[in-house]
Amino acid sequence: MTSSRQQPTELHFGPAILAWLWPGLGHFSLGRPKRGGLIMFGVLFLVVSGVLIGGIDCVDRREDKLWFLAQGLCGPIAFGVDYVNQNLIKPQPEEQRLLTRSLGHVNEMGTLFVALAGLMNLVVILDALVDSPHLREAERSARCPKEHRPKP
Amino acid sequence: MPKGAQTQAVSSLLAYIPFVHPINFFQDWWWVLLLPLSFGIAVIYKAMRVEKLSRYWRQVAVLTVQIVLGMIGLALALMVLVQWVIPLLPVDNGN
Repeated sequence: MTSSRQQPTELHFGPAILAWLWPGLGHFSLGRPKRGGLIMFGVLFLVVSGVLIGGIDCVDRREDKLWFLAQGLCGPIAFGVDYVNQNLIKPQPEEQRLLTRSLGHVNEMGTLFVALAGLMNLVVILDALVDSPHLREAERSARCPKEHRPKP
Repeated sequence: MPKGAQTQAVSSLLAYIPFVHPINFFQDWWWVLLLPLSFGIAVIYKAMRVEKLSRYWRQVAVLTVQIVLGMIGLALALMVLVQWVIPLLPVDNGN
C-alpha cells in the first residue's frame, strides 16, 4: 500500500451535493472534467434508455415507492420525469392511458435501468465525497511525469 | 398477416411517441437489454476506478463482457438447480 492511501481522507460535501444535482458535476468541480463527462454520459445513458424503453410511466413516485428510492438518487432528473408522469401522463383519459401505461417486461426493464442509474450515481456521490487520494496521485503523475521521476 | 391486423400494427407504429409510449417490441426480447444495461454500469464504474483514461474504453468493454458472462453463468446455474437438482430431492408425502 502506498503512503498516499494512508493519509486521512477529507470529505467534500459540496462536490457530493453537486454530484446528486447533476450526474458528473461533482467530479467537474473536483477538477476532473473528463471523468465527470464520462460519468454524466453513463448515468444519462441509463436514464434515457430506461425512459425510452419503459416510457415515462416507469418512474412513479406514488405507485413504485421502493423503486423510486433508488431512482431518486439520479437527482432532479428523476423528480422531473416523475412530475411529468404525475401531472401530464396520469390525468389523461383511460383510452390514452392504455397506450402510455407500460406493463410486463418492458416496465420491469425500464424501471430497472433508471433505478440502476440512481444506485450507480450513489457510488459516484460517495466517490466525489471521499475523492480517493490514490487516484488523484495517479492522475497527477500521469499529467506531469517529470516531477514524479526519482532524482538521480 | 390479415389486413385488419396489418392496419392496426401500422397505425400503432405511427401513433408511437418516444419516451411517452413504451417500446413493446422488448416484451419478448427483454433479455437483449442486458447488453446496454451492463455497458452503462461499466461506463460509470470505470470512469471512477481506472487510473489511466487511455485504457478506459478497453476496460469498459472488458467489464461489460464480464457482467454479461456472469449473468449467463448465474442463469445456467439456476437452470441446473431448477431442472435437475430440485427434482432429485426426496418428496415428503407426509406419511
